[in-house]
Parts: sequence; structure tokens; C-alpha cells
Amino acid sequence: MVPVSIDDSTNSDRGSQARAFADTIVPEERGVENRDLRGPASERMRQPAMRRRTPRISLIVVLPENHVVSPDRLAQGLRSHGNGDIDVVVACAGQPANLSALQRSVGDAQFLLAPAGTSIEDLRELAMRQAPGDIVTLLSGALLPATATDAELFMTS
Amino acid sequence: MPSPRPLSVIVPVRNGKATLSRALTAILASELPRDDYELIVVDDASSDGSPELAARYADTVVRLTGRRAGPAYARNRGAELALGEVLVFVDADVMVRPETLAGMLKLLSDHAGLDATSACHDQTAVAQNLASQYWNLLHHFGEQTRAGTSGNVASPCAAIRRRVFLAAGMYDEWRFERAALEGIEFGRRLEDSGRKVRSSRDLEISALKQWTVRSLCGEVWDRSVLLTRSLGYQRTRVAVPSEAVFTLSRVVAPAFAVLCVVAFSAAVLPPANGPVKLAIVLVGSIVLNFPAHRFFAKARGIPFAIAVAPLHLLMQAISGLGLCAGWVMRDAVGDREPDAATQAYAEVGLETWPPVPRTSGR
Repeated sequence: MVPVSIDDSTNSDRGSQARAFADTIVPEERGVENRDLRGPASERMRQPAMRRRTPRISLIVVLPENHVVSPDRLAQGLRSHGNGDIDVVVACAGQPANLSALQRSVGDAQFLLAPAGTSIEDLRELAMRQAPGDIVTLLSGALLPATATDAELFMTS
Repeated sequence: MPSPRPLSVIVPVRNGKATLSRALTAILASELPRDDYELIVVDDASSDGSPELAARYADTVVRLTGRRAGPAYARNRGAELALGEVLVFVDADVMVRPETLAGMLKLLSDHAGLDATSACHDQTAVAQNLASQYWNLLHHFGEQTRAGTSGNVASPCAAIRRRVFLAAGMYDEWRFERAALEGIEFGRRLEDSGRKVRSSRDLEISALKQWTVRSLCGEVWDRSVLLTRSLGYQRTRVAVPSEAVFTLSRVVAPAFAVLCVVAFSAAVLPPANGPVKLAIVLVGSIVLNFPAHRFFAKARGIPFAIAVAPLHLLMQAISGLGLCAGWVMRDAVGDREPDAATQAYAEVGLETWPPVPRTSGR
């Protein structure tokens, strides 16, 4: 909490007090918000939770073991959920054979590699622990929209 | 962006890890096809890992940070994100039956004039202790005997058209920081504005929450105080006669008459006849509550009805005291309001996340 100065007691009505109270807070929030939006997602995730004006949004894509997904399909699926400032976590059971290609297609995403055999539910829970968002959308890799290049299939380990 | 689905199921939770998994599993086991609904869980600043547990099942998890804001606030935040034409609010401590969600959607589809509907408690509380069984049956009794008239749009499971929900100003998150009667207030507000709200006997849920005598006393006290302090007893009773407090307090006036008889008998009977006076009180209480006791006996047998008779009497006494206390508080200190800091934030329209509680529901 930001302390309220007792010197503001000259403003006797509650409305004035409230505005004075808000004035002490808002500049700090703006600073937090601007700083928050600059760095890449991985840096922002490490920052402690601070007051913001808008919710931070995270998207978790769950790729179960032996699931087939192409980098284009993954990138397009993420684009369909908005191009804004979204923290993306891709949770995989086992290491995908095309991990490098997937990482290149969604460069700003955090990849979470769980041991092979991890269940979808456990993957979702693990990814939720990593996602920094206030609003977290969970998406199954199987539900990503198909692309023209989808014929090229990649198998996870 | 994801395509809209007919239904958005919104589950508010606070430290509900003990029951959340069963509640969400029951929703996913619904007869409704999975593509027909989205599941949104709104976590109200839990400290027990509820958001991570919710992520195992939900499409979207909303994390509210800071201090507890209440289920009304949490439901509103979920509704703001929801894309479905119909919103279903399910508490994190109930299990919907497989046919409940589909039944709600069908009811609203078939009756264009109906704006909201709510489900009833079934007879089987999952917790087996006496207090939980009693409280569940008390709800069931009120809801079944007054079905079709209820204007309760929250606990434990209710569906409403999204446009109606938003147009009515959503739940009153300003006054209802705790889980008590916010759905009744909203339902009454809807009916006052000409909207049609009905409960259905055929749509049922099972309660998961475990009650103790102590927690029941607190719940009955809170509800009773709130009824007279914030909502107004008579108007609310007309709108939502199925509420448990009305089931308890319906006999308050006759009970007062019995007390008068006992007081009169005290003047006639010799002082040593205390057991006789006690017997008069007990017989009078049982006679006054005969419909409820008969229902308990039918549902669980005569031993159960006998066992809960003192508990029922205790709840009635607490309810009566709570109603009186709320009435006094309304005149002495006024209606409930959030703390000064929240009021100050709201007054200047401070934009922050999570947002400051709004007064639009009033």
C-alpha cells in the first residue's frame, strides 16, 4: 500500500481525499505499467506482481506426447488469439523432434518440457504454475487451426 | 479469436481445493457436448493452489489477486470474459448432474420469455455428517415446496441470458463481499425490472460442502442479518420464498404465540413443573414445524428427524435473533458498504487490475 500523507488533511471532504489518495498511486502505476510492457515475456515473468491498470494475459498451449503439430500451425494458432502483449507458454510432454523449429516460429514463447508420459492434466497444471497472467487461456494443441503447410507433420518424442 | 459457444460456465472459487476437482469433473461429465460450452474458473485470491487445480479442467482461469472480493465480484469478472449467449454460474462446492446444464440451456431455448433459471439442491448431500445433511435437506425442502417462484440467480447453480445479465448491471459486488444472498438480490432486481426468473424442480445439483454446527450458525446468522439489513424481509420473501431463512423464520410469529402460552402457564403451574413447561415448548415447536419434520422423516427416517429437531430449533432461534439484529443495524448504522479505501478508489474511478468493485448493481 502507498501511504497517504497526513498533510493532505486540509482537504476535508471525502472526494478530495480520495483524489489525493489516487494521485499518490497513479504515477507509480504508470511507471510500473510502462516498465512492464518493455521487456520480453521471459523477463517480465521474473518481475514480482505489481499493480497494473490492465490484466496480464497468458496463453498456454498443451502439446501431449506424440502429438503432431507444425510450427506454422502453432504460430497461426497463437496469432488467432491476438497479437497483443500475451505471454505464451507451450507445454510439451517429452521433447518435440522439431523443438527448434517450434521455438523459431514463436520466438517469444516459453517452452515447458515435461517428462515423456506426463498426462495432459498434469501438463496444464505445470504450465499454469509458469504462466504469469491474470487471465490464462488454456488451449489444446489438437484444437489449433489447420494451415496449408499442415501436411508436413512433426512427431513429438 | 475463439468462436463463441452457446454456453459459458463460470465457476468462482476461493480456497476450494477440497471440492473444486469434483465440481469441475461433474461439469465436464455433462451431457452437453464439450464444444457447446466454455469453462471459466475465477479464482478469488486463493492461497491453496486452486488456480493450478482449475487449469487441469478449465478453458480459462482468471486469477484475482489481493484480498478476497467475494463470489459476486468473481462471477462478474468471469461474465465480462464470457462469450456464450447464456451464462451458467456454478458454485465450486456443488456437483451438477449430467443433465443439468443441457436442461438449463433447453429451458431457456424453449421459453423465449424466460430470462433466468436456477437449479435446486437434491436430497443427497455428499458430506455425511448430520449438520450437512440437515442443511441440504432444509434447502431442498424450501426449493421443492416453493419451486417455480424463486428469483435466486446464483447459488448453487443458475443460468441467465448474457445480454440480460449485463443490462441488469450484473451482481451487486459493492455490498456482497461474502457468499450470501447476492443471487437473491440480483433475482429480485431482475423481477423488479420485469424479467422472468424461475427455479426448476427438475434441475438438480448435489452439495459437496461439509458443514459443522458452528459454521451453520454463522451462515444462518449472516443470511438473516443481511435479509433485514440490506434486502428487506417482506419484499425478499415475496420474491424468493424458497430461501432457507424463510423456511426457518416462517414459524417465528406462531412461535412467539407459543412462548406467550408458556409464559401464561408459568403463572398457573407451580414453579416445580419446569419439565412440563419445556415439554410444552418442544411440542409447540414440533407442531409449528410439522411440515419440515415430516419431510425430514420421509427423506431420512424418524431417527434422523428426531436428531435434527434440536438443531432446527437452534437455527430458528439464531435466525430470529439475526433478523432482529439486522433490523436494528439498518436503522443504527445503515446498509453494508465496502471499506473506506475501496470507496475512495471507486469515487475517483481508479483504473486498476483487479478492478475496483463497482456500484452499478445497485
